[in-house]
Amino acid sequence: MNAIIISALMGVLLMFTSIATKNKQVINNIALVALLFLLICNIADTYNWWSIKVDTKNMFVFTKFGYFFNSIAIATTLVFVALSGNDIIKIGNYAAEYFVLIFFVLCGIAILSSFNNLLMMFLGIEIMSIPLYILTGADKKNLKSNEAALKYFLMGSFSTGILLMGIALLYGTNGSFDIQQVMPSQELIKHAPLLEVIGLVLIFSAMLFKISAAPFHFWAPDVYDGSPSVFSSFMMTIVKAAGFIALINLFFYKAESLAHLWRILLFVVIITTLVIGNITAVFQQSVKRMMAYSSIAQAGFMLFALYATNDTAKEGILFYAAAYSLATIGIFAVLARMDDYTLEGYNGLAKTQPMLAFVNAVCLLSLAGIPLTAGFFAKYYMLAAVIKTGSTIGIVLTIIGVLFAAVSAYYYFRVIQAMYFKEGNSKVDNVTPSFKYALLVLAVLVIFFGISPDTLISWFYF
Amino acid sequence: MSLLHIFFWFLTALALFSALMVIISKNPVHSVLWLIVVFFAISGHYILMNAQFLAIVNLIVYAGAIMVLFLFVIMLLNLNKQTEPQKHIWLKFSGIIAGGCFLLSVSNVIYNAQNTTLELSKKAVLMGEGNIGLIENLGKKLFTDYVIPFEISSVLFLSAMVGAVVIGKKN
Repeated sequence: MNAIIISALMGVLLMFTSIATKNKQVINNIALVALLFLLICNIADTYNWWSIKVDTKNMFVFTKFGYFFNSIAIATTLVFVALSGNDIIKIGNYAAEYFVLIFFVLCGIAILSSFNNLLMMFLGIEIMSIPLYILTGADKKNLKSNEAALKYFLMGSFSTGILLMGIALLYGTNGSFDIQQVMPSQELIKHAPLLEVIGLVLIFSAMLFKISAAPFHFWAPDVYDGSPSVFSSFMMTIVKAAGFIALINLFFYKAESLAHLWRILLFVVIITTLVIGNITAVFQQSVKRMMAYSSIAQAGFMLFALYATNDTAKEGILFYAAAYSLATIGIFAVLARMDDYTLEGYNGLAKTQPMLAFVNAVCLLSLAGIPLTAGFFAKYYMLAAVIKTGSTIGIVLTIIGVLFAAVSAYYYFRVIQAMYFKEGNSKVDNVTPSFKYALLVLAVLVIFFGISPDTLISWFYF
Repeated sequence: MSLLHIFFWFLTALALFSALMVIISKNPVHSVLWLIVVFFAISGHYILMNAQFLAIVNLIVYAGAIMVLFLFVIMLLNLNKQTEPQKHIWLKFSGIIAGGCFLLSVSNVIYNAQNTTLELSKKAVLMGEGNIGLIENLGKKLFTDYVIPFEISSVLFLSAMVGAVVIGKKN
């Protein structure tokens, strides 16, 4: 409960700092300290050192899995703000408000990682989404940002409608919002199986929209491309991972009783997501848009965890969330300061800014899943989880996954090629030494998790 | 067939017909007016189920506030002409197929749900029985069992308010 309450309180605190001070740098630092405090509170809650006790009337079930994901989400947000805080305060006049909205998103994420009730899931998804619509349109003078915000808002409200319809149908079958009751009610499944199934399918579709998986991905490239670069990196990483955690919380109970139907549905979704994300990314000229499509492709990989529904998958999704978030945040931290977002803009970056080019290369290699980077083990855990299920479809899925990982290497390497092997003078704005060191720490983290992934995974059991 | 059942079927037919008219009518203002009729019909259903509070709130919030907002937006943006862009024939065709598939599965589901032995599915109206929709019980529920979602929704409204200020205020 700590993470939910404290993140909301920190949001309110930052609202008041915007009255107290107009110095944006101070606000940035306060946000960093608040994030650190939030992380400590969540860790204290994990190990029962100190926690706010609330009688939640069975609305929440706090598990190690949820706590650990909260820690990952808050820690990656901390890295994100430490790296890109200076870009956030430059977007508009409302520096403090942007941080407030980020804290509210974290509150939604904390709800999604531990809900036990469909009502709470709905609230969590809305608390997570509504600040994002605003962050997308934060760059008010930019027409593309406006378009992205409106598009995201309209499509998002539509998907919320579908989610509500699904929840209503589930309530109709079971007479309860409680997940434990909604899920194993064998008695009622006999009476109205289809009503429940269609409710689950509607909820599943709405959640696929939130994680930008294939048939519902159309908003993703425009929104990620149009919104300010810092916020697209936040949306692509931490928020998307939270969508997966919500899906896992909701469907891990159900997947067993509906296994065959569930797996066929997921098989189709995973294949289309991988095909559309990877193939379209190959043809992009703008690196930002390419990253948008690559994030669709990475969502396809993360869906492997839902297909497998075993313990390896649970560990794997946590590791994947951390590895993918770190790498993408690194790439976007550099991209946000580039003058030119196209591939040509990266030409010769290794000559002008060797450090930035190196970190960028490490992050891209991690996304492609090259050994010695965190991304390799992230993909490894996903594939291992699917193979553990032992079905033939699982093997087919693994082979297709590996093939598309190879395709993804092509477009990630194109950026590396532009940076190292092409002539040009790419310009990067205000690269301070502290920014460089922060980036270096990030690269070291990515490589460290790639060499010994156990350090992160074993925390989960500690 | 009692008077209440006649009411029920009348309201159902009215709701379905006006919901169809919302989609069919070309003029946006007519669509909004039909939508108000839908809300009134649904409020009638709520009253038949002995949920007076919900019926009144539905009327005040939806038919009152939100519909007026819709009308203002349509009139301010001067949308009351037929500005619907012509869509490609294949797009319409695929829309019909997708929507048809959904209609088929949902109607199949509803047909199956009718055969259940659930008590409630046999009852069209609840008159003088069942007090779940009365304001007293609603308030008790809200402040005991559902107090956590009630409190947490404040974060949602706060973020929406902050967002409105960020988006709406002049730079």
